Amino acid sequence: MNLELFSDPQIVKKLAKAIQTEAAKLKKEIKIMHICGTHENSIIRFGLRDLLPANIRVIAGPGCPVCVTSSRDIDAVINLALKENVCITTFGDMLKVPGSKLSLHGAKSHGADIKMVYSIYDAIELSKNSNKPVVFFACGFETTAAGTAAAILDLKLPSNFFIYSVHKYTPDGVYALLKSGKIDMDGLILPGHASAISGLRTYERFAFEFHIPSVAAGFEAADILLAILLIVKQINSNQAKVENTYNRVINYEGNTKAQQIMDRVFSLGEAIWRGLGTIEHTGYILKDEFAYVDATKHFNFEYPNHYIEHKKGCRCRDVILGKAQPTDCPLYAKHCTPYNPVGPCMVSDEGTCKNFYDGGIGE
Amino acid sequence: MSDVITIDHGSGGKLTLELIENIFKAENGLDAAILDDLAFTTDSHSIKPLFFDGGDIGKLAVSGTVNDLLCVGAKPLYISSAFIIEAGFEIEKLQKIVNSMQEEARKANVKIVCGDTKVVEKGKCDGVYINTSGIGKIIKKIDGSNVEDGDAVIITGSIGDHGFSIMNKRENLNIDVNLKSDVTQLSDVILPLLNSDIDIKFMRDPTRGGLAMCLNELCYKRHFGFEIYEDKIPIKEEVRVISEILGIEPYFAANEGKMVIVVKKEDAPKTVEMLKKNPKSKDAAIIGEVKNSLQGKVVLITPFGSKRILKMPVSDKMPRIC
Ligand code: SF4
Ligand code: SF4
Repeated sequence: MNLELFSDPQIVKKLAKAIQTEAAKLKKEIKIMHICGTHENSIIRFGLRDLLPANIRVIAGPGCPVCVTSSRDIDAVINLALKENVCITTFGDMLKVPGSKLSLHGAKSHGADIKMVYSIYDAIELSKNSNKPVVFFACGFETTAAGTAAAILDLKLPSNFFIYSVHKYTPDGVYALLKSGKIDMDGLILPGHASAISGLRTYERFAFEFHIPSVAAGFEAADILLAILLIVKQINSNQAKVENTYNRVINYEGNTKAQQIMDRVFSLGEAIWRGLGTIEHTGYILKDEFAYVDATKHFNFEYPNHYIEHKKGCRCRDVILGKAQPTDCPLYAKHCTPYNPVGPCMVSDEGTCKNFYDGGIGE
Repeated sequence: MSDVITIDHGSGGKLTLELIENIFKAENGLDAAILDDLAFTTDSHSIKPLFFDGGDIGKLAVSGTVNDLLCVGAKPLYISSAFIIEAGFEIEKLQKIVNSMQEEARKANVKIVCGDTKVVEKGKCDGVYINTSGIGKIIKKIDGSNVEDGDAVIITGSIGDHGFSIMNKRENLNIDVNLKSDVTQLSDVILPLLNSDIDIKFMRDPTRGGLAMCLNELCYKRHFGFEIYEDKIPIKEEVRVISEILGIEPYFAANEGKMVIVVKKEDAPKTVEMLKKNPKSKDAAIIGEVKNSLQGKVVLITPFGSKRILKMPVSDKMPRIC
């Protein structure tokens, strides 16, 4: 495998040209959705939208694990920190995501003990040196869920360490949205890291049931352009199948070892996706056998009766569904910036609004 | 905006800049003050871990101050050092830190002339904090006042080495790469340029916030901006690897031994040629040019010919979640 090929300017330019040629045959403007925050990041980083013809629009879907974490869960965790004197640990990006009233970061000034960690391992270390309960607020898709599961199975966990899992399973989330007709698109770029875990098999129903060409891609410029080219070709020949341009990392079955580990630790149940509501079979829930680390079993979780997913004016919901671009939101780059994010999409480097903002788009 | 100081206010990004402007009411134009024919600067250093591949907090404190003086065109002469030490800190480690300060000062040809020590209770600071101030003599006053359209932007070497080697260690990433911090004083790199006839217009060391912050600061609220060619920026393969894994671009990672230099276009080849003679700056390269039309903006031209704006980082960049 020669990684350099994927960032070779000559190859990238050739691909861009091939897309132009293929796009000229399209009968209508098409929307290609990716569902991976890191893809959006690459698209901005390499200025790829600059290289595409006007009749191909690449839009971002629900690809940022931070963005899809519900306010309900953030509120509940804040309550827990304030009422039960536990220390909450989580990823840096999660700290800044607004809940109904406060972000985790904001809750600190109300006395909540909240600490940033880089991984579950950090959180475990921290609990070893703490004399109070430490809860790891575990968010992320299958890539991160696999890590959580492995840590539970591999490590001797301190007795004061607990996990609150809001891990989510991507493929069924997108499947449910397609089924509900909430998102519309003509082609799908499959995520790089997440598909490495779940495999491409699970995406075949996208092609069969909804006639959506789906192509897995890595994160270099050529990876993404090649995926776009293949999607346009499929559309032009009225095909819909799953293709793989990232076989250096992804295969059909996925990472079966990681799947087994996750199967042992989690069952899939309902999850609340921010702005999208409850989706079955997408929440990684700790099995009874692991109740000893499950924070929901040890503490009195008070879920808010009402929780606010999106503040007035915020169009994150539409952004996550690919119905709006960040620049369509009246708050974008004015009232809503990474310094003071109104909605979740402006927080993480995987969030669509944050990516647009960092790329200086629409200012 | 938040009503308390957050960690982000100290990240060296835009919030730091705003704090300096709005609260301290200080002009944040230059790294050191120019006082007639003297330059004066001060800097505090807190870093985790205190010892890292390629240096320690002592080396960092001295070289940081020396480099800040160089930025305004001064020859660094004298340094003061003040220590804040946490009770319980091992004397042996302290000795190591002091030794490397002296070593670095000797290399830079500066004298450490006065100092101060305070000890705080255990748990009140992360081992050791060091403040250093420095005085230098202006050789050629460099304050960015004569930057012109078309001037060349030069970097003295590869970017991100310091930031990523620290992250690799601090986050226990244990990524097996051979990467060292580039922390060093640059007197021997910059003084020859100052003593030559090269028309240096502006200079800054891309420390916290990395190259992205440095370039943005240089053109912040000024009449010009920069166009930077991505494929000309020297980046080590090791840095690329860690960058990929973390999902953080090298442009946002700190450097402690590099300098961004804006020179008159005609002088650029000669500058690079002189720089390449010193091993510390052997990878020097012209990475872009000044554009008046870009007013305060930094635009990256990707190797594919597309453009993107390189912004000031909001806060310290986080590794991606997946
Ligand atoms: S690989 Fe998965 S978790 Fe990572 S950015 Fe893409 S979708 Fe998100
Ligand atoms: S700009 Fe802010 S408020 Fe608007 S959709 Fe994005 S995150 Fe939500």
